[in-house]
Amino acid sequence: MVLEMEKFKEKIKTCLQNEPAFCTAACPFRLDIHDFMPKMQRGGFNAAYRTYLNTVGFPGIVSELCHEPCKNVCPRRLKDEAIAMKHLEKAAIKYARDLNPNSYNLPPKNKKIAIIGAGISGLGCALRLASKKYNVTVFERTDRIGGHLWDVLPPEVFLADIERQFMHEKYTLNLNTEITSLDELDFDAIYVATGKGGTDFGLKPDPEGAFASDKPGVFMGGELCGRNIIEALADGLQAINAIERYIKTGNMNQPKAKDKTEILINTDLISYMKPVLPDEGEVFTQENALYEAKRCLRCSCDACVRHCDLMSYYGKYPKRIGEEVEITVNPGTLDGNGTVATRLISTCNQCGLCKGICPQEIDTGDFLLQSHRAMRGKGAMPWAFHDFWLRDMEFTNSEAAGMCKLPKGFDKSRYVFFPGCQLGASDPWYVIESYRFLREKTPDTALILGCCGAPAEWAGDEQLHEAAVAKLREDWISLGKPIAVFACPTCRQMFRKYLPEIEGIFLYNLISELGIKPSPRVNGDTVSVFDPCTTREEPELQHVIREIAEKAGFNLEPLPYEGKYAKCCSWGGQVSIANPSFTREVVKARISQNSNPYITYCINCRDIFDAAKKPVYHILDIIFGSHDKDQMLPTITQRRSNRINLKHKLLSEFWRDEAIMEQKESRIKLLITPELRQKLHKEMILETDIETVIEHCESTGRKVQIPESGHFFGHLQIGNMTYWVEYLPEDGKFNLINAYCHRMSIEEA
Amino acid sequence: MADNKVIICCKCKKELIPKKVYFKYLGHSFFTDILKCPDCGEVFIPEELVKGRMAEVEMQLEDK
Repeated sequence: MVLEMEKFKEKIKTCLQNEPAFCTAACPFRLDIHDFMPKMQRGGFNAAYRTYLNTVGFPGIVSELCHEPCKNVCPRRLKDEAIAMKHLEKAAIKYARDLNPNSYNLPPKNKKIAIIGAGISGLGCALRLASKKYNVTVFERTDRIGGHLWDVLPPEVFLADIERQFMHEKYTLNLNTEITSLDELDFDAIYVATGKGGTDFGLKPDPEGAFASDKPGVFMGGELCGRNIIEALADGLQAINAIERYIKTGNMNQPKAKDKTEILINTDLISYMKPVLPDEGEVFTQENALYEAKRCLRCSCDACVRHCDLMSYYGKYPKRIGEEVEITVNPGTLDGNGTVATRLISTCNQCGLCKGICPQEIDTGDFLLQSHRAMRGKGAMPWAFHDFWLRDMEFTNSEAAGMCKLPKGFDKSRYVFFPGCQLGASDPWYVIESYRFLREKTPDTALILGCCGAPAEWAGDEQLHEAAVAKLREDWISLGKPIAVFACPTCRQMFRKYLPEIEGIFLYNLISELGIKPSPRVNGDTVSVFDPCTTREEPELQHVIREIAEKAGFNLEPLPYEGKYAKCCSWGGQVSIANPSFTREVVKARISQNSNPYITYCINCRDIFDAAKKPVYHILDIIFGSHDKDQMLPTITQRRSNRINLKHKLLSEFWRDEAIMEQKESRIKLLITPELRQKLHKEMILETDIETVIEHCESTGRKVQIPESGHFFGHLQIGNMTYWVEYLPEDGKFNLINAYCHRMSIEEA
Repeated sequence: MADNKVIICCKCKKELIPKKVYFKYLGHSFFTDILKCPDCGEVFIPEELVKGRMAEVEMQLEDK
């Protein structure tokens, strides 16, 4: 497990979260689109202008001359047209409130720097150094500043911009001063920007550092080095990082800026947006600019936070999650303070989508599962998060609800039906109809009512999980190693992962294969198939379900997330107790993908959507024809009694001459109003637990009373949870007035 | 619901009075005044307290 977590830590290093956008990587100035564009998109022209100004130094010049390399890499160019960056930049300038640069009151630095050449590159470098209050001297061979700019722009444009940007800065300008040898200069550092064909003083670029020459303290850039005029300015602005590094450390090895990005964008997912262009030569109106800015995708590698429910809910990338989980699993203090990610670890639906959509296949879900196990292993995971479901699992495998049986007269079977814990809990009818069908077609089909181990897996309880898996293997062997027939895709997934020796098939594929025709009962009603997340890698099953639905007369409309992008209904990982608000958000997002009724083939998806009032069918409703029934969802208590009833009904129908199990009658007869019943259901309080508490109060006399109402109150800790009841005895029965529970335990003497 | 009402321990027939009661959750121990029988120590915790302050503390400890 430790090894697995270490592997993740290595893998996380490949995360592309911090990779620049395509345009930023291609931009000579590295204009940060994630800074600039949001400001433009909200109409913050002044703020956008400040970003632009701080990045390019001379906005008036750049917005005229830039050759827009960003346009060649913008993913929008493949869909409609690349973002018109130059127009947006011009709009930022036009609509900004204040065009003047900021004045910074810094103490002067005691370092002298010479710049050779007053072209745009030298001026850019001078501007940055001067604003940091270095002592800057510029040497220019001719009698004017601007160099090559004179050939490409009207002087009033560039001279005005230069003057504005230098308005708060001082530097020494030596015109008509040709430097012939660097030895005549006594400076702490020198930037050589003598322009195209200018003198290079015999310097050679040093590949070990950005802008470095082979002479210590001397840097070079701009058109002298074969750059175009815009790149030359960018060189001048960026060279100061290398110069400052040299001044501070004496090293010439400033890393070169990255001009590549690793991010990938799926252009299929980009929706068309008509580009907007101003009339020739004119600048965007504010409206134009806003619209054009909104076309920008602000590219980044964020598939995980966009598509994974957990990462989008917390707004955290895998790297951050990795760090927070690390300090949670291995806290720095003895009392475990700072275990910030306990709830986050318990919020993962374990659906696996994160790995599927990550270009680097970073499996955050598996990392969280490993972390969950580590936390559980050392007793640091709050028991309450999974207690209910582990008790439910115990119940599923108990004598009351579980069984493993061969049909009478057979000593082995070809198939064993494994309906899973929740199908019969939702409605025993699903299991009985399915089993009846299977027995008709292949009479030797055995049956296992039990749990696949998922609740233990999700709770990170390895011991319990191993025991569950071992029991299943034992049962399977006792039945003659049959092919398992699954109704629940989660069970199928669990078997694939932990019992790979057991061959399996889905009930629905088998039904389709053995031949059952759902009689068309609907006239082209439009529905959408909701693929459970556990079927993401089961394309054949997804196909069969659609086939069945179409045969039944439904018209199918796709969902945004389906097939290999299927998302969890919220059930996965059984996270609802640890994070109820996350669960609510997930359910809401899933049911509002469109307004069609859904057809699904996981009973948990069905029941969760039904509880959220989304019209939804289980595929068995379609196959066996009960999809019109309008019945209340069972409460958690009924889900248990349904499983007991299921076992009874199956035993009596399929193993007729066997002794029917004795039904345990409870001594306590409860009277509960429907409203209270729903409250108990919502708060996950089992009525059977309530009976136990009342039985305890009555038998021990440990209870209190409010004389005014006559109501009795009592409590009992069952397992970890403490339950309270408020009740009134009535004709040998108990009228339950209220019940509630808490996680902390009362230390009673 | 049970505010300011007299509450009687059914065993001892005594009125419950606020007394120090210890609680434990996730390895942390803490105490507060809760209605308690002065003789046998039977306690009473109303739903408001369970859903209010107690739930808050439970959550804080889970996130600690």
